[in-house]
Formats: sequence, structure tokens, C-alpha cells
Amino acid sequence: MSLIAFWGAVELGLVYAFVAIGVYLAFRVLDFPDLTVDGSFPLGAAVAAVLIIAGVNPWIAAAVAMVAGAIAGLVTAMLNVRFRILNLLASILTMIALFSVNLRVMGKPNVALINADTMISPFFGHGLRDFYVRPLFVGILVVVAVVVVWRFLESDAGLSMRATGANARMARAQGVNTNRQIYLGIALSNALVALGGALFAQTNGFADVTSGVGTIVVGLAAVIIGETLFGARGILIALIGCVLGSILYRIAIQLALSSDVLGLQASDLNFVTALLVTVALVLPRLRRGGAA
Amino acid sequence: MISVSDIKVVFGKGTPLQKQALNGVSLTIEEGQFVTVIGSNGAGKSTLLGVLAGDVIATEGQVKIGTTDVTRQGTAARAGRVARVFQDPLTGSCGALSIEENLALAARRGERRGLASALGPQRRALFRERIAELNLGLENRMRDRMDLLSGGQRQAVSLVMATLAGSDVLLLDEHTAALDPGMAEFIMTLTQKIVSERKLTTLMVTHSMRQALDYGHRTVMLHGGEIVLDVSGDSRKTLQVEDLIAMFRKMRGQTLDDDALLIG
Repeated sequence: MSLIAFWGAVELGLVYAFVAIGVYLAFRVLDFPDLTVDGSFPLGAAVAAVLIIAGVNPWIAAAVAMVAGAIAGLVTAMLNVRFRILNLLASILTMIALFSVNLRVMGKPNVALINADTMISPFFGHGLRDFYVRPLFVGILVVVAVVVVWRFLESDAGLSMRATGANARMARAQGVNTNRQIYLGIALSNALVALGGALFAQTNGFADVTSGVGTIVVGLAAVIIGETLFGARGILIALIGCVLGSILYRIAIQLALSSDVLGLQASDLNFVTALLVTVALVLPRLRRGGAA
Repeated sequence: MISVSDIKVVFGKGTPLQKQALNGVSLTIEEGQFVTVIGSNGAGKSTLLGVLAGDVIATEGQVKIGTTDVTRQGTAARAGRVARVFQDPLTGSCGALSIEENLALAARRGERRGLASALGPQRRALFRERIAELNLGLENRMRDRMDLLSGGQRQAVSLVMATLAGSDVLLLDEHTAALDPGMAEFIMTLTQKIVSERKLTTLMVTHSMRQALDYGHRTVMLHGGEIVLDVSGDSRKTLQVEDLIAMFRKMRGQTLDDDALLIG
């Protein structure tokens, strides 16, 4: 693997760290299997790309993308909480609907951002090579997101969200409005995923309506790899695990695809992903004494 | 003070499975009174507790806690007034959270929860002190996950949790039923201490006749969704477990086949 390919993998891992943190919030904190992310990731990319091309400040474009993601999350939460649709199914409905929404937003399946000013453009050309600047920039944003989510989950408000996912009956007895926590948590989760999408569009120079396929699996893979490596030792460690899991996942994929020995090609990506997640799921069980 | 007037609860109204769980129950509990509630399975004990906690919304009638009408309020909305310990130790606390996080959660029961850190040094010290009073050595395990504790330890922590924030009523739902006899006694002694120290208005549902008569100021027996016995003061002091069992038999019109459970 070349240096550029390595840092490319790190960069992509950092972009998808936002997805991993979002998936962690939904799946682990709220115990809500949310597949909306397959739609909210390209939604974030689409909204950011279209706004940037229209001349909007890229930071504002990213903020609007986050709001769009949050709204997508609110729709899923409403289908589940208000209309009592099973959480998984509710999120699939939103995900499917978002495919059409994303096409409407972009007006075509693919939008290029090659020469537009992005959040990162001001940082290019200051002596550091581009393939270092991108992961560095995204990495700083990831650190900010980790700290914000960590402090939130350890606050009084965050504690009630964690209680909602862990023991809803107890949470209600403590005066927590569990429905509101689901709205809030799923909105926050999808806002982060959409931010990941917005950064994806800006670092890769395009937004594509199909770029969301399998986002959930990648996010889950990162969460599970993180848990496998670090175990359950508090919120901060779990969040750092999500980030490192996401980076390691990308490096592993890059290694698998670039090693001539294995004879894999780019189209084998999904198979390798499934294999990696399976290994990450089975490994801890084998280590614990093999009741697989 | 709690006042429940003419509460009726019907489950599955209009279906073939319609069940009248409470049929016109009226009960007034004075400030600081400790009431024990007994009754066979299906008598309506849990429903009554649910009506007070907000889990069950009454079909008819009125529920007042203090001077506030809470009849239509859900569990979360009235949580500031109601502290509760559940029968199942797993229900009353969050296994995935640490002991101190559970306490932090309970310390804000019924209040707004902001973005400030849930566990500042002051709160940590307070929680540690309150847990140390249990003499279970848990004060050195404050950061352990709750699911590492035994059922009895969890109930003891649940009792502390119930008293961290103020409340107008403490509801105990057979909270020693899942424990071994030794631990059950420890929890009852602790309950007694907490209730009398803090002069809490308390409603305790129990399956044990012994407990029902040994603790509290007043005993209420439910049957078929109605109150069939309400004793306090001197007449309660002379009442024996055998008398209660005789009453149960009469009520059921048959011989009980689970005496052991009732005497327990």
C-alpha cells in the first residue's frame, strides 16, 4: 500500500467516524436499530454539494446538511413513536423515501464539486501536502464531535438518553420522557451521519445518490471493531473505539484490496466488508471460551 | 397525602377478555402514613399501584397526590411526586449504567435535566456518603456497573435512589419478593428506617401477611378489585396472621393451596 493510499484510507475512516458515532448513538445508546443512515449520509452529501455549488459558504452548507439529517431522523422517530411502526421498519421506510428525496435535491444522480470552494480549500497550499491536509482537517472535526458527544452523554440530559435505551421503564419512573429522548437521539445520530456525508462530498469532490448503500454496515463495522479492541469501558473509550474502528476498517479494506496475493478487486468490497464484520462479531465470542 | 376516589379500571373494554381490575376503590392516605396492601393474585394490588404511579390510567375516578389531580398524568409527568421501588431488582435500576450514574439519574427525578456534568465532585461525595450508610461496602464500587450487583444489593441501592429526590409518596411493589430471606429482612429493616426517618407517605404491596402486619400503620386488603379490609390502630395490633388467612379463605370460598406463600 502506498503512502497516499494509506492516508486516503485514514481520511475515509475519519469521514466515516461520524457515521460510526451516529450508529453508536442509535444502536448502542438508544438500542434503536436505525437504518435511516443509508439515506441520511447521501442526503448530507447532496445538500452540502448543491448548496456549495450555489455559492453558499461551505460551513453553512454543512450545517444545513446536519439539519436535513436531523429532520430525516425525526421522521423515523415519529414513525416509530407516534405511529407505533417497528423501529427497524420505520427506518427502512425513511431510508427508501430518502433515495427519491436525494435525487430531487440534486436534480440528477451525481453532482461534481471539483473546482468549488469547500471547507478544506483554505487549508491547501500552506506547505503541507493535500493528502495530509484532508485527514488532518477531518480529524480535528472528529475530535470536536467526540468531545461534544462524550460530554453530552455524561451530562444529566445524556444520562436520561442512556437510561431510555437501557431501561425505558426505569427511565419513565425517574421522570424521563422516553419518547422525547428517542426523537432527540435519532435526530442527533442522523445529523452526525449527514455531516459525515457533507464531508465525504467535500473531500471526494462529488455527491452521488448511491453512495449511501451499505453505510449502516460500515458504521456498525466500525462500532463493533472498536468494541472488540477496547471492550466496554465507559463512554469516552467507546467513542474513541468508534473512530479507531472506522479507520482500522478502512485500512483493512485497503490492505485486502491492494494485496495481489489475495487477488481481490474493488467489486469484492461488499463481500470483504461482510466478512470483516462477521470476524469482528465472532472473535470476542471465541475469546470468551468458544460458545459459538 | 394521597386520595384515590371511586377508581374503576377496566382492561380490554368491549372485548371478550374484558376484566374489571379495580371496581370503585376509594382510599385516603394521610401525610406520613405507611400503608401495607395485601390480596391474592388478581385482587387488584398491582393495578392500584399502577394507578398511583401512572402506569395505569383509571377508566373512572380521581387520583390526587397532595392537592394535585394527577388522574390523567403519565408516569414520567408525575415522577417528581412518586418514588418507587419495583419487585424485580432489574426493573428499578439501569444495569448498563454505573452505581453513581444510577444515583445521578434518580437525584434529578421529575426535574429538568441540563447539560451540566451528571457527576460533579459534590454529587459524588453525597452519593458515596448515602451508599456508605447501607454498610454493604458498595461505596468503594461506585463506578461498577449496576448489573454486577446482586439482587439484594440492587434493591438496597434502589431504596437510596428513591429517597435522593423529594417525593410525596413512596411506592413499594413487593420489593422483597425476589430476594432470599436474609436479604429480604435486611431490605425491610432498611425500608423501615428510611420511611420513619424521612416520614414518607408510603404504600407497600406485599404477598407476606407477616410483613403486612409487622410494618406500617395501616393494612388494606383487596379482593376482586375492591377494598374488603381496612384496619389501623388498636384493632390492627390485635390482628394475627391466622385471622388474615381465615379472611382470605372466606373470601375465596375455598381452601387455599398456597398457604406457604401467604405466610412467608
